[in-house]
Amino acid sequence: MGQLRLTATKYGAITVTNLQNQLAYVWEALNRAVFIVLIMFVFVQLWTAVYQSQGVTEIAGLSLSATIWYLLIAETMELGKMRHDERISEEVKDGSVAYTLTRPYNYLAYHFFNGLGETAVKMLLVFLLGMPLVVYYAGWPTIQPQHLLPVLLIAGLAVLLDFFAFSIIGLLAFVTEDTFSFRLIYQKLVFILGGLMLPLDFLPAWLQPLARVLPFNLTTYAPAKLFVAFTWAQFWQILALQAIWLTVFGLVLWRQYRWASQRLAVNGG
Amino acid sequence: MMNQLKAELSFLRALMSVNLASAMEYRVSFISQVVGMLVNNGIYFVFWVIFFNQFGTVRGYNMDEIFLLFAIVTLGYGLGFMFAGNTRQYMAYLIAQGRLDYYLVFPRNLLLHVVCSKMTVSTVGDVVFGLIAYSFTGRFALVEIGLFLATAVLAAIIFVGYSVITGSLAFYMGNAQYASQQMTNAMLTFSLYPNTLFSGAARVMLYTVIPAAFVGAVPVDIVRFHDGRLLLLLVAAAIIIWLIAIFMFYYGLRRYESGSAINVNV
Repeated sequence: MGQLRLTATKYGAITVTNLQNQLAYVWEALNRAVFIVLIMFVFVQLWTAVYQSQGVTEIAGLSLSATIWYLLIAETMELGKMRHDERISEEVKDGSVAYTLTRPYNYLAYHFFNGLGETAVKMLLVFLLGMPLVVYYAGWPTIQPQHLLPVLLIAGLAVLLDFFAFSIIGLLAFVTEDTFSFRLIYQKLVFILGGLMLPLDFLPAWLQPLARVLPFNLTTYAPAKLFVAFTWAQFWQILALQAIWLTVFGLVLWRQYRWASQRLAVNGG
Repeated sequence: MMNQLKAELSFLRALMSVNLASAMEYRVSFISQVVGMLVNNGIYFVFWVIFFNQFGTVRGYNMDEIFLLFAIVTLGYGLGFMFAGNTRQYMAYLIAQGRLDYYLVFPRNLLLHVVCSKMTVSTVGDVVFGLIAYSFTGRFALVEIGLFLATAVLAAIIFVGYSVITGSLAFYMGNAQYASQQMTNAMLTFSLYPNTLFSGAARVMLYTVIPAAFVGAVPVDIVRFHDGRLLLLLVAAAIIIWLIAIFMFYYGLRRYESGSAINVNV
């Protein structure tokens, strides 16, 4: 119990330190988050035009308001992501990973808790900046209070799943040195198969089943869709898929991290 | 006057050779960034293919118009920042950090020297993508190809001119890096969506404060309708934007203060 409390204190301090760091440069964070106002304005115009041209109030069960709120949540998830894979990649390339691995904390856990503070600030800023425009065009969200916690759980697991994916990409620097292309391909797959640019429900019928079982939609589409159209059936389905992919990515990451650590030891650290 | 112009052109040619050689020094990184940009632009194509496949024509735009829009915007953006990449937030950084001194001591046109002393490698991918995208439009008549290239070059000039304006904001507001970056990103973002989506104040903004219409919608209409008058309007827009850019840069230069940092250009 004491050990658990010490561990929680250690990683909690890492999170709080980076959170304070982010708040010290809040203007910089605000500037970056201004992009959400621009992109949400464009999305509102685009999807308003689509619903008008189709002459319908719903497309694939989503109203225009739901679609707009969906896109805000999807963008919040995407823009709030930890970009620690670049830091890991840089540390591997310049060799500093050799002494960071010897510190009295788990290397990956450090990056996770360090990134958590930054993610929290970024997501909050993006959401708060985008919300007025979305409320103006789409009204208030219709999510029920009892569904908020499940949605937050899915969002939290989405952040964790994304962290695993980017960690795998970052650690590829041990093999390829430059991980830019892997990061780019993953990000672009999230754009379409992850539901960032349009909900999976709007994809062609033949593509939807594939997109739903792949992990990309679980980091972006899943929390956004549950926020605008919550059903318990979809919640349990998404939770199960997240658990499966977290296990798969977790195992891959664990093996990769062990291999990388041993490789460093073999080369003298 | 002619000799001076020749000297400046010769200098620009030398700058670009050095920039290209420097960019290609690390071949793998160069190819990776170019391919990365092709993938990045390509995914937006995939989005629009799915979009129009699901929803048909929207506000007068379908896939043909999107091919042409992307071709002009990406080629223009790529050409502009391939040759003149030291604008936007990079210029704002130089000004805020007091690092213009390096350029001030040279007997060369200051603005040209500053803007042309950096090449954004990934823009080579934009240039390649723009040409590939045009091949999907099916517009292979000589006059259409000529109009496409002319409007792309004008779009490049406008992109760079606007980026000089946003970069020069640093003379007036100190740390303008993020503002400069956001404004240039805004121009690119708006230009890649059909102009017909926007109306009222938003449409006015796209022809003034964020002149995205001049690098996207207007060139598309020029190529579609072979509109010579619109082409002249585009030339006029490019001239006006550059007049503003030159004024903002040189007027702001009077307020410039040297920094103490040692600037090493490699």
